[in-house]
Amino acid sequence: MNTELKTKNRYGMVIDLDKCTGCGACMIGCAVENNIAPAHQNATDRTGITWIRVYEVENGESFPDNRTVYVPLPCQQCGKESPCVSVCPQKAVEVDPSSGIVGQIPVRCLGCRYCMTACPYHARYFNWWDPVWPQGMEKTLNPDVSTRMRGVVEKCNFCHSRLQAARAKAAAEGRRDLHDGEYLPACAESCPSQAIVFGDLLDESSEVSKAARSEKTFRLLEQLGTEPKVYYRSEQNWVRSIAEKKVTEMKKSANRVGGEAVPRG
Amino acid sequence: MFPFVYGFTWDAGNIIFLGLFFSAVAVIVSTVMVATLRTRKDFALRKQESIRWESDFHDLPSSARKCRHEFTGEFKHRTCDNSFECGECATHAKLIEHALQNAAAEEPKENAQQKIYGFDMPLDRMYHRGHTWARPESDGTFTIGIDDLGSRLVGLPEHIELPAVGTRIHANGTAWHVKKKDSDVRIMAPVDGEVIETGGPEKDWYLKVKPISVKVETGHLLRGNEIRPWLMREVERLQLSLAVESVGATLADGGEPVKDFSKSYPSANWDSVLGEMFLEP
Amino acid sequence: MAERRCPVDKQLIIRGVTRTSLRNFFFWILPWSGILAVGLYAIYLCLAVGLNQTNMDNRFAFGVWIFLDLAVIALGAGAFFTGFLLYILKKDELKAVINSAVVLGFICYSGAVGVLMVDVGQPLRAWFTFWHPNVHSMLTEVTFCITCYLTVLAVEYSPIVLKNRKLKQVPSLMVFEFEIHKVMYVLAGLGTFLSFFHQGSLGGLYGVLRGRPFAFREGLAIWPSTFFLFILSAAAVGPSFILFMTWIVSKISKKNLVKKEVYSLLGKISGTLLIVYVLLKTIDTLIWINKTSPSVGFPAFEFYAWNPFGTWILFAEIVLFGLIPALMLLNKKVQERLPLLVTAAVLACAGVALNRFVMTIQTLALPTLSFDPFLSYLPSWQELATFGAVIAYGVIVYSFSFRYLNLFPQERDLNQL
Repeated sequence: MNTELKTKNRYGMVIDLDKCTGCGACMIGCAVENNIAPAHQNATDRTGITWIRVYEVENGESFPDNRTVYVPLPCQQCGKESPCVSVCPQKAVEVDPSSGIVGQIPVRCLGCRYCMTACPYHARYFNWWDPVWPQGMEKTLNPDVSTRMRGVVEKCNFCHSRLQAARAKAAAEGRRDLHDGEYLPACAESCPSQAIVFGDLLDESSEVSKAARSEKTFRLLEQLGTEPKVYYRSEQNWVRSIAEKKVTEMKKSANRVGGEAVPRG
Repeated sequence: MFPFVYGFTWDAGNIIFLGLFFSAVAVIVSTVMVATLRTRKDFALRKQESIRWESDFHDLPSSARKCRHEFTGEFKHRTCDNSFECGECATHAKLIEHALQNAAAEEPKENAQQKIYGFDMPLDRMYHRGHTWARPESDGTFTIGIDDLGSRLVGLPEHIELPAVGTRIHANGTAWHVKKKDSDVRIMAPVDGEVIETGGPEKDWYLKVKPISVKVETGHLLRGNEIRPWLMREVERLQLSLAVESVGATLADGGEPVKDFSKSYPSANWDSVLGEMFLEP
Repeated sequence: MAERRCPVDKQLIIRGVTRTSLRNFFFWILPWSGILAVGLYAIYLCLAVGLNQTNMDNRFAFGVWIFLDLAVIALGAGAFFTGFLLYILKKDELKAVINSAVVLGFICYSGAVGVLMVDVGQPLRAWFTFWHPNVHSMLTEVTFCITCYLTVLAVEYSPIVLKNRKLKQVPSLMVFEFEIHKVMYVLAGLGTFLSFFHQGSLGGLYGVLRGRPFAFREGLAIWPSTFFLFILSAAAVGPSFILFMTWIVSKISKKNLVKKEVYSLLGKISGTLLIVYVLLKTIDTLIWINKTSPSVGFPAFEFYAWNPFGTWILFAEIVLFGLIPALMLLNKKVQERLPLLVTAAVLACAGVALNRFVMTIQTLALPTLSFDPFLSYLPSWQELATFGAVIAYGVIVYSFSFRYLNLFPQERDLNQL
């Protein structure tokens, strides 16, 4: 299904992997902004909910050539042939025509998890438990973001409610368009090293647009044809190689103990 | 799903997909409805008895569905595909015409009793494949009874349920019910008619009926020189049935059959034997 | 032969056949009811406490239940295919097994739908798929088609039930059965059409996954090659499954249920379709290895670098459980010897089950991102208990059907020598 739309804005991000320290502030900011409940006591790293997730990737070499990079991975907001949009049986995933953001409708989600099977970036998370906030913590809930229920899928939506708030504010000021940087998702805002650059890719003067056009940027699994709107950038060659599966690299990391990627968080 | 639902668009994919879906649902619903309406019509036309017979006939084993013209040697092997409704069978009509042309040389009708394999099979009556007989009386009514083989199969039944006076019976439908040991079987009616008098095992007839329509259909009944070969086949079928359903003993050839077969075969599955012989699957 | 005692419920059992005593039947049903009860408890847990009761997770979003669904629907394809062969192609020998095939089909599909209702996070929202259908999604097609087909199967099952000895004495039921039987060919035709689509769409579910190059296939228009391969494999394995089930039931009941020619015919049909399937699957696999997979940056042999899913699994699927049973089923000598024929049928069923396993479990185990690990997953007891519940449900429904309904019309004739 071709999900390419002619949109007013096309929001995307460029994440500079050379700046990311793996601190995880983006994960915390995201969780706070988006009302993600504390993990159930039985949750594991494969059943927890982390709309953005920092991965620790090693290059598989031994000392002194070993290198590590931290890769924050939110929903890649695929721009064309979005795997999740075409497979949802009840259209609970839609591409917003005005911003290009791939949004999830939790109240329509059946919980069939077909979209999770379809997503190659593993960016979708299922509510295996009822979300429960300890007493008192409900005061920290963000009123702009709806909570989800057990049995539905959720994922990063570039803090869409912040886009709506920014547009409302701009409208109140009599503007139609947002300035670059006026709308930022929580992860971009939280990052202490400003590794996440966010903005409108269609706006050629925006920072993100310039960064995305640099030759040091890449996107993950580009050969699948998903056209993600999340770009990564690094000066290091080996980091750029994580974009696609390369046999030799893969074999290397597969054989070594500790060479496997360990999702952080 | 429907145009009034939020998010519905009239695009090709939706139209084709939903079109096919609604067509499939329509086919299912209409099939069930057609069957229901036809059922109601069948009841309105009082066709349930003939439908029951047609349905039952379909379930009979092939050995029970042999064409009567196989008995008379006109065919080597032929299974009836017309529910024994010989009156409507084109093959039967042709063969009867042929037989009539050769009827001049037939043996004269005997009014005497005839014994075949020890069974009384009088020739003044016509026999139904279900072991009942019908005899036309001078006043236009028909007397109906169970033939000798049938009565020995039934023996002394626990209970007989005869239809009430005024009931209409249909050819190949149910005439009466017999309860024997822990099995019950329906006895088939040889002709259409309205019951005017009931008899029973004490008399030698069971029912007297008056015709419903001007012509009483008797084309499906056996008579004359068909009876001997038919009875021979029936005895064979009974032997086979007893062999399968009991300890393997068979009827002796010749001699006088006993009045109640079930007493000679106490371990037999009499339910199956009755069902087999009275053509109730 | 000792004196035969008639079962207490004889009046409910068709004439001319023997069935075991009610007491024996009760003791047969009892353990299966136990398994069903345990399974129902597991289902209750999954519905009340949540899907955290399973071992599925965000990486293994589909687990043993989806594999069970796909496998059971492929095996239940015997119902539509036998109906097609009998009512449309007029292969009258199959009258001997059509009733059993319909019951098996009904069990398979109702079991699959039951498990699906537990598998989804919000079963009460199942109607959303109908209300807001996404016609681009294969899963929408599957949902619609399977719902329609389950209805068709229920309607096809009803005349079999209505022919029960006691029920058919009720005039309205008897006449209704007669009338619905007259239009059965319409339902058989519709069933074939629906089955074609949903068997295919189940294959399409995986074939369209761009994000999973292991499963992704190119094909014809919107339909990936797996769409057609799944239809063919389901049609091929349906008769084998019926063959196998008939044999099992005849062994358990110690009766001759169908004539030998019926077994041979089922084997021959299955073998013919299976050999065509193996050929097409081989071609498809070669295209995938040489063109499709490398074109998205995933050399195919990479997928088989992970234990335990080495290249042996591909070999097993296509050769051991594909080519070999196909050749066996087509061999005249095998068709004459029932034990060999049944073995071949079982191998064919195993092959299709393996294919469904590879598509569901292996697909999710394999890495997509370059830094993904190879994942493992083992079902929890709740998942296995639910699996068991479906099987127990099937055995119980089939047992009752076998006892009280005329599933094998040839049984009487065969017992009459």
